[in-house]
Amino acid sequence: MRKMIALVGATVLALSGCSVKDDAPDGGGGARQITFLTFETPNLTPQYWDAAIKRVTDQHPDIAVKRIVSPTQDRTAYAKQLLQSGQFPDVLIAVSPAGFAEAGELYAWSDKELENFLFPGNGAVNGKIYQLPANTQTIPVTYYNKDLFASAGIGAPPTTYQELLDAAAKLKAKNITPLVTGGVHDSVGPLVAGIWATDVYAKNPEWMKQRRAGTVKFCDPDPRKALGKVADLAAKGYVDRTSVARDYAAAQQAFLDGKGAMYAMGNWLAGALDGADKPKFAVGQFTWPGDADNRTVPAFTGGGLLVSAKSKNIEAARKFALAFQLDKTNLDNSAVADGLFPAIKGYAPPAGVGPAYRAGYDLYAKALAAKTVVPAFNFEAGGDAPLPGVGAKIDASVVDLITGKKTMEQVCAFLDSEWAKG
Amino acid sequence: MAVDRAPRRVGARVGHFAGFAGPGLTVYAGFVLVPILISAGYSLTNYNPFNPPTRYVGLANYRLLFTDEAFLTSLRVTTILTVIVVVTPNVAGLAIAVLLDRRGWLYNALRSVFFVPMVLSSVVVSIVWTRLLDNEGPINQALRAVGVDRPPGWLSDPDYALYSLGAILSWQLLGFCVVVYLAGLQGIPVELLEAAEMDGAGPGRRFWHVSWPLLAPALTINTVVLMISAFKVFDHVQVITRGGPGEGTTATIAFVVLRTAFEENRGGIASAQAVVMLTIIAAASAVALKLLRRREVEL
Repeated sequence: MRKMIALVGATVLALSGCSVKDDAPDGGGGARQITFLTFETPNLTPQYWDAAIKRVTDQHPDIAVKRIVSPTQDRTAYAKQLLQSGQFPDVLIAVSPAGFAEAGELYAWSDKELENFLFPGNGAVNGKIYQLPANTQTIPVTYYNKDLFASAGIGAPPTTYQELLDAAAKLKAKNITPLVTGGVHDSVGPLVAGIWATDVYAKNPEWMKQRRAGTVKFCDPDPRKALGKVADLAAKGYVDRTSVARDYAAAQQAFLDGKGAMYAMGNWLAGALDGADKPKFAVGQFTWPGDADNRTVPAFTGGGLLVSAKSKNIEAARKFALAFQLDKTNLDNSAVADGLFPAIKGYAPPAGVGPAYRAGYDLYAKALAAKTVVPAFNFEAGGDAPLPGVGAKIDASVVDLITGKKTMEQVCAFLDSEWAKG
Repeated sequence: MAVDRAPRRVGARVGHFAGFAGPGLTVYAGFVLVPILISAGYSLTNYNPFNPPTRYVGLANYRLLFTDEAFLTSLRVTTILTVIVVVTPNVAGLAIAVLLDRRGWLYNALRSVFFVPMVLSSVVVSIVWTRLLDNEGPINQALRAVGVDRPPGWLSDPDYALYSLGAILSWQLLGFCVVVYLAGLQGIPVELLEAAEMDGAGPGRRFWHVSWPLLAPALTINTVVLMISAFKVFDHVQVITRGGPGEGTTATIAFVVLRTAFEENRGGIASAQAVVMLTIIAAASAVALKLLRRREVEL
């Protein structure tokens, strides 16, 4: 019996002597273990994440990273779940800081730490930055299938909303689905962000801040017009009602399989268009058009890493997050794989980026020069974002408009009532 | 001597009882009763992990629930789903059990076949049916092949999605009903059926006047188990429809509880929803048990 106890004791001692320390104070010897919440998409594969993490840990062997994967694209909801079950990760990526920041769960980056970022004030919550403003994404770019456009006799991409409707009518007449969508945030949200940009944000880029202040509402004329356009596109059959069953990956695949002519999507689609599995047809890009022109480009700068304010290894977490975010190879890979425009001072996309990336980047650069960049609705972060929980209601309401379950009036009233719940 | 022994026997019995029941009671209290009490406590507060401090709000959360459109919709959705899930597997399960109540290797094999969905993970079942019911899935492909130009969007059309979900749940729970009814049928004394036959009763009358009354305990078990299963369904909704398409089309109470707690951060209200859900399940099960047991007969 004594031998058995000695054996168990020796095993416990041996195991406890392993090099990874998950709760040791900073400054001690051995690697500090941190947890890192990531998410996977067709563009951001497990191999992509593992290689990106390894590049940083190779530079900082004192940090060990345990990667956590969000089970769905809604990593913010998963982060909340982890927080409430006492398992909040040390580092997170592309999670909206709203709610977490106000509750004191996130570390506020200092001006010194933000000195390398192009837009260091983006996504602020009560004047502080909790998420590294790492990349700019244009949401949406409207991608179109040049072969299907040609077969419907459409010579050039639309530059006004009426031209878009005319093109959709020609496509539908040829039995081609004009617009590919899905039913979840990342697949239907970009379409709405495009419409919202031209009808709401182009006139009032401060709309979301004013909604938070209670001075504007969803039932005001401009948002009603935007929501009405969504319902109208569905009513005319330009958006397939049954497509709302698609998730993000299925919607992307539908476009890549040629099942529709246009796809309003974040510029990260460039990763798939320039990748090895690029579609067999030629793909063009245009900015979602407004009633008068197509100069307005919705974009979001943020999406970077966040650090838990209560991390046991906060120094390691901060060091890892900044190193991950500023590593040149990681930035280049994020540009190639996910079409991101790194918002880092002095950064230029690598020469090897594909034509789809380059075309999207040019559209953005042109709008930036013309000062026609506006926020991307329901993709904002921090104090610029909808209240916690309302973003999901917006997505669900858009699906209701597409399926015809609710009218525009019902949806705007519903969203205002949901907002009032706070 | 006898006077001395009695208290010792009582003490020993109490000790034995505590020894055997203690561990189970401790686990039950720790993992069931205490969490329920904690949840009930939270339901009387404005608990929001993102918006401290937490304070006592009395019954305000409960009053809010009965004017909350999302919660009232979830009550309606759950009720419809429960009706589908209680009726369909019960009726189909009884019919299949009657057909399978025979001897032979084929019938034994078929019993296993019908029970297979029951042992599958609900997530696996949900993924399989999501693929089958996809707009471009095999079911719609087959419908197109036989000339249906625009087959239904089983999971994307708000008019169909809830019923599709009910059908999937019914399919998975069917095997349970078949097994319980088969056990009930095989427990009916052959003499009773033979006596009825000798009295001139045909198969229909034998079933209606002999088998059906004696299947009352099986009906009770199936109804109560199906009712509880349907009322607390979450995993199928999460995987197949995520409460959609759109707002609340297939959002059950359990789904809304989780969404309120983890997406909207309203822990106090979510706890109140959970308490209401527990109360409804307990009350509905008690009423069903009471009503169904009235028609059970002793042999």
